[in-house]
Amino acid sequence: MADDSSGIHVRGLRKSFRIKGGDHEVLKGVDLDIAPGEVLGLIGPNGAGKTTLMSCLLGFLHPNGGEIVIDGRPNDDLDVRRRTGFVPERMNFDRRETGRAFLRYMARLAGIPAEAADERVQAMLTRLGIADAAEKRLSQYSRGMLQRIGMSQALIHEPQFLFLDEPTSGLDPNGVLLVRELIEEQKTRGVAVLLNSHQLAEVEKVCDRVLFLHGGVVAQAETLRHSGRFAVAITLLPDSFDAAEVARIAGNAVENGVVLASVETEADIAEIVRELAATGAGIIGVKRHTADLEGIFRGHA
Amino acid sequence: MVFETLRRHVHSIAYWAYVSFMGILGAGVSQIERPATLWPTLVTLLAIIAGARIIGPEFASGTLQLVLVKPVKRCTYLVSRVAGVVLAVWLGAVVGLTGETVGRLVTGPVPWDALLSAFLFATIDAILVVSLLAMFGSFTRGYTNVELYIGIQIVLLMILAFARGKLPVWLATAIKFVQNNLFPDAPPAFDVDWLLLILSNAAIALVIACFAFSKREVPYGAD
Repeated sequence: MADDSSGIHVRGLRKSFRIKGGDHEVLKGVDLDIAPGEVLGLIGPNGAGKTTLMSCLLGFLHPNGGEIVIDGRPNDDLDVRRRTGFVPERMNFDRRETGRAFLRYMARLAGIPAEAADERVQAMLTRLGIADAAEKRLSQYSRGMLQRIGMSQALIHEPQFLFLDEPTSGLDPNGVLLVRELIEEQKTRGVAVLLNSHQLAEVEKVCDRVLFLHGGVVAQAETLRHSGRFAVAITLLPDSFDAAEVARIAGNAVENGVVLASVETEADIAEIVRELAATGAGIIGVKRHTADLEGIFRGHA
Repeated sequence: MVFETLRRHVHSIAYWAYVSFMGILGAGVSQIERPATLWPTLVTLLAIIAGARIIGPEFASGTLQLVLVKPVKRCTYLVSRVAGVVLAVWLGAVVGLTGETVGRLVTGPVPWDALLSAFLFATIDAILVVSLLAMFGSFTRGYTNVELYIGIQIVLLMILAFARGKLPVWLATAIKFVQNNLFPDAPPAFDVDWLLLILSNAAIALVIACFAFSKREVPYGAD
């Protein structure tokens, strides 16, 4: 059972770099929380501090101030690292290794016993669809295959905290779907996931919440779905509905002919539509409501 | 990690090409009266080549960041990498020694004392060389570690060769001290004090390397 300290918690994180004699503050007091089983998206323009934030969380950089607590422990605690997975944007590791040897090395470093490592490696290679290339050197892998091997090394020890930096970069549509599936699997397993991505459509599909980082601070936070629920936007024919009745059924007031309803399943949508139709309301369209991430981006540009 | 490092070397064609060359050279120099003529130098060169890859290049390639999120203490990782490289170098030294031993067995008596003394020097010296490269690599990127290692050696040599008479005695003594400790010449014969000096210097280098590496920031990518 998750308690208050479980998951990832960041308070007042600050990080500066000394550039040409002066201090350049990249993170100016970032707060964030990621609960177990939650996927948090991190978006923002280049130079916003996303990679710096992720580097601090992973212990690559030492913050100048603030606090990072993961499952009640400091982020550089070995037990935390034992349960941490990381996919960097660029998979630039030693390309002379074969995919299998590389994964085995990563598995052993992650603390998987030698006798179990081979089995786990094979399972990951198969799951990620690169079993046929297992004996090839990484130098012969395409960018998409390297991304898959990167995902494999991050997931091989079944982490509880997953940090993904542009995990779909360079992947074909099948690869993108696979990564989406994998993230969903981790979410179901109760993994706290931080996803740094410029691909807003992808962020929208897999994230529960989104933080927009701008100028070293969290400029905006958006909840995309909550406790397995999602929003649908139902567009109504003007003058065809009783606003009070619609509000009672959908749970929200009508605005500009559109009412938002929070649902759990497709069946819930059908039920609401049926009830609205029964009141005589004309329904023009029903579609999943998503946060306007592009709008957020433009708004802060 | 020790054996992973060793495995990477023994799976490398370049490594075996180099080591085979050392063996052949060892057999070849067995025709020369003076024992252990050339291959011990190649052992040191192998230590430089293999040791150059510790930390600095891993930082630049991005491998280091993948390693550092794993549940391994930085110091443990660094020392393990050093140990793995040293084992790979020792394996090369064994091949060189074997080459010369076989060559001398064919042609006449084997000067065991001289050969084993040279082997011991080369293998112990390799620990110092690799430890120094790890120390330089602990705070630099890419192959700056090997540039520093060779650069310092050259600078010290040049100062002593061209400016010795003009330097204050204390400075010349200090430079000679640094040179003897970091880049020692082989002793004429088996010398326990020399071995202890090398090992203690290597230990100091590793302690500094561990400290610097533990404190080091290892950013990846860029926003």
